[in-house]
Amino acid sequence: MTALALALPDRRRLAGISIPFAAVVGSMAIGLLLIAASGKSVPDAIDAFLDGAFGTAFAFGASVNRAVALSLVGLGFILAFRANLTNVGGEGQIAVGGITAAALALWPPIAGLPLGLAVIVPLLGGTLAGAFWGGIAGFMKVKFGTNEVISTLLLGFVALLMVYWCVQSTSLLRQPQTSSATLPESLPIPDSSKLPSLTGDPESPLHVGLIICLVLAVVTAVVLQRSTFGLRLRAIGLNELAARRAGMPGGVLLVAALAIAGAFGGLAGAIMLQGEQYYLKAGFSSGYGFDGLVVGLLSRGSTVGVLAGALFFGFLRSGGISMEIMAGVPAALTLVIQGLIVIAVAGSVIVVDKLEGGSR
Amino acid sequence: MDQPAGLQTGTAAAAFQSPLLSLADLGKRFGTLQALDGVSLDVCAGTVQCLLGENGAGKSTLCNLIFGVYEPSAGHMTFGGAPWAPTSPAEALERGIAMVHQHFSLVPRMTVVENLMLGQVKGMLHRHEFGGRIRDIAERFGFALDPDAVVGELSVGERQRAEIVKCLMRDPKLLVLDEPTAVLPPGEIGALLDICRRVADSGRAVILVTHKLAEIARVADRVAVLRGGRLVADESMANADMGALVHAMVGREVKPLDVALAEPGEVPATEASTPRGFALVCDGLTVEDRHGAVRLDNFTLEIRPGEVVGLAGVEGNGQSELGMVLAGLLRPTEGQFYIGGTELSHAGAAAVTAAGGGIVPEDRHAVACVTGMSVAENMFLNKLDQFTRFGLLQRRALNEATRGLMRIFDVRAAGPEVVFSGLSGGNQQKAVLARELTVDPLVALVAAQPTRGLDVSAVEAVYRQIRAAARRGVGVLLISSELDELLAVADRVAVLYRGRLVGERPAAMKERSAIGALMSGQLS
Repeated sequence: MTALALALPDRRRLAGISIPFAAVVGSMAIGLLLIAASGKSVPDAIDAFLDGAFGTAFAFGASVNRAVALSLVGLGFILAFRANLTNVGGEGQIAVGGITAAALALWPPIAGLPLGLAVIVPLLGGTLAGAFWGGIAGFMKVKFGTNEVISTLLLGFVALLMVYWCVQSTSLLRQPQTSSATLPESLPIPDSSKLPSLTGDPESPLHVGLIICLVLAVVTAVVLQRSTFGLRLRAIGLNELAARRAGMPGGVLLVAALAIAGAFGGLAGAIMLQGEQYYLKAGFSSGYGFDGLVVGLLSRGSTVGVLAGALFFGFLRSGGISMEIMAGVPAALTLVIQGLIVIAVAGSVIVVDKLEGGSR
Repeated sequence: MDQPAGLQTGTAAAAFQSPLLSLADLGKRFGTLQALDGVSLDVCAGTVQCLLGENGAGKSTLCNLIFGVYEPSAGHMTFGGAPWAPTSPAEALERGIAMVHQHFSLVPRMTVVENLMLGQVKGMLHRHEFGGRIRDIAERFGFALDPDAVVGELSVGERQRAEIVKCLMRDPKLLVLDEPTAVLPPGEIGALLDICRRVADSGRAVILVTHKLAEIARVADRVAVLRGGRLVADESMANADMGALVHAMVGREVKPLDVALAEPGEVPATEASTPRGFALVCDGLTVEDRHGAVRLDNFTLEIRPGEVVGLAGVEGNGQSELGMVLAGLLRPTEGQFYIGGTELSHAGAAAVTAAGGGIVPEDRHAVACVTGMSVAENMFLNKLDQFTRFGLLQRRALNEATRGLMRIFDVRAAGPEVVFSGLSGGNQQKAVLARELTVDPLVALVAAQPTRGLDVSAVEAVYRQIRAAARRGVGVLLISSELDELLAVADRVAVLYRGRLVGERPAAMKERSAIGALMSGQLS
């Protein structure tokens, strides 16, 4: 799947890797300066970051799990982006995926299903819910010409409030209220619906979501680079009128592209619920949809780029949380550093593009 | 404004004035192309000077010389009594020459007043005051324009009026309009001509470029005809004879096109083909646009297998709409069309292809191809399924097939995987033609402006392919605004004017003037 990257001449490839790398290192250095300026100990912060990102089996597993969710959203993003559709609704697609997976997992008949179906059915349910959510935006685009950036974003807010509604009403998913101290959350899902651990190590939260994600990454790469469907998405993205003249079903392709992007988001939501969080609560999606969008954007349509970016952001998030807790670095500052890195990477991508354009 | 041409007041007086603009032996050469050659013309204040000519006759070049877009390669001009050798449009505006281009230069998201303030005001913006000036000018010349309307929401005619006001705000002595009526729906043309008249009556000179005779009769004081870069007629409207003008405009010329025509034995054998049903039938096709204006009016035409029917007409008379309908991209408001007996008016593009319709769209870049994709992908854009196994594209087979087609149709590119935008226009068109001619089975071919922008050898190749298809029994509809092209390739020529089929003639040289008259709205 790296055929494209490998085909580039060495010197250009070197620039393509070294410039973004330098940008990341540079922005991290600025981040450390900011930490120093805020009066915190820089060595402590670095220690806390490394500890939180890779330090223990738990930290490492948690980082990778984060990366899995981000990758899935990013993969969906690049697929829709191939058809020139910008799916910014990952957050909402995660949310509907989570709601559906929770509802299915908490439905007693499903918890008792054999052969791993107790795991698979909520996963599939979450995926379909996400596909539906993305498909709505696609339908609106085709039928009424609504810009998908607006519709996916606004549908995202709807979904976030639906999570809130679900966990506030006992008639929906809220756990039975036994006292005034009962939190607005769902019951935890039964063990039979939790994603199996990947390593068997009880210390590590790493789950089989990683395998699902890697398989889907390969499938996405094949679809984008080798399949006729991928070529059609590209045609419709580059010139919709010409694609329609060539007999391609424009509307169907656009709806499909957004539905698939949504399905990836929904699956991410289901995996987050069944793999780590185990119960639904308000703010369940906690920004993964938007981080996944950034991952997708920075990857420039490359599947490998999505995986690498997601891994990077996964570690960054875990490390950031740890810095906050252990070294007292303000949460806002870790977000500032993350933002700096995103800008640096995006900027370096432009520089690399210019270099490549110039040498042509 | 309904007084007949030639009787306008002030014309006689103007005739005795010294000319406002005077062109002497003006020439312009682009590389090997002599776009203008020895043009001498006087334009007087207070008159409407019409400039007539076919596509490529040099009308736009002449306007651009006057407006300072290009510098002449020969001859000289005087304006207002002084030598006139502009080096930029800004200089022309400064001296009192304004021009309305074919393509408007307005920002769609801004209001009229904001657009007109661009480049004309500095410092603080006084929208209200400026808007008042816009209203005043519009009123003075007898039309209405809302300064606060957003340009993107205006009709083409209203946008054009905004452009005209933009010019008039500079109080020019000479207003040049380059084919202003080409973009207008029929209903708005009269209003524009009235504006031209009023501008001239205010003491300014107006140069109006057009190729529609009916407009000239309505508004011109003088009319000049360009053909092949030379001025072939220049007379006052009072003395002008319509027939003579048509003849001057379309009269035979030795053009590069004749090289392509000199091929032996290319007349398709229409008689030989069996008329077992028609290849393409249009039955009462009617298209109304969003504003309810009729762009194509009850269009009915039957094409037999092996027959090439040319559809002549000045651009903007419904050809685009017809092309979109036949491509399956636009649903007609009324009427049906059939390819090989299959009714397709609401079936969509895939069904047109399936029924045996090959479509070479008028707009190559917008409709015919995806310039960002490869040659192979473009040449098989409508046949990708043939190269798909288990959902995967068989690249090797696709590239192999593309190489074959590139050989047959002489598409010159470094290889099947080269990006399409890297090809020359001629090779792009040959590739599109190859794709559409290999629709299997091919029953009818609709080619719209297939040789636009191509060099002579590519033009020849396109003609040869179209003729060869007809010989194989394909019914061809060739839509073109180039009369020479139609006469060269078609068996008969139908003429479209303002969305209606106004006549049909055999494609013979002696019919040239008659067809030209029909194209110009002179119903014979």
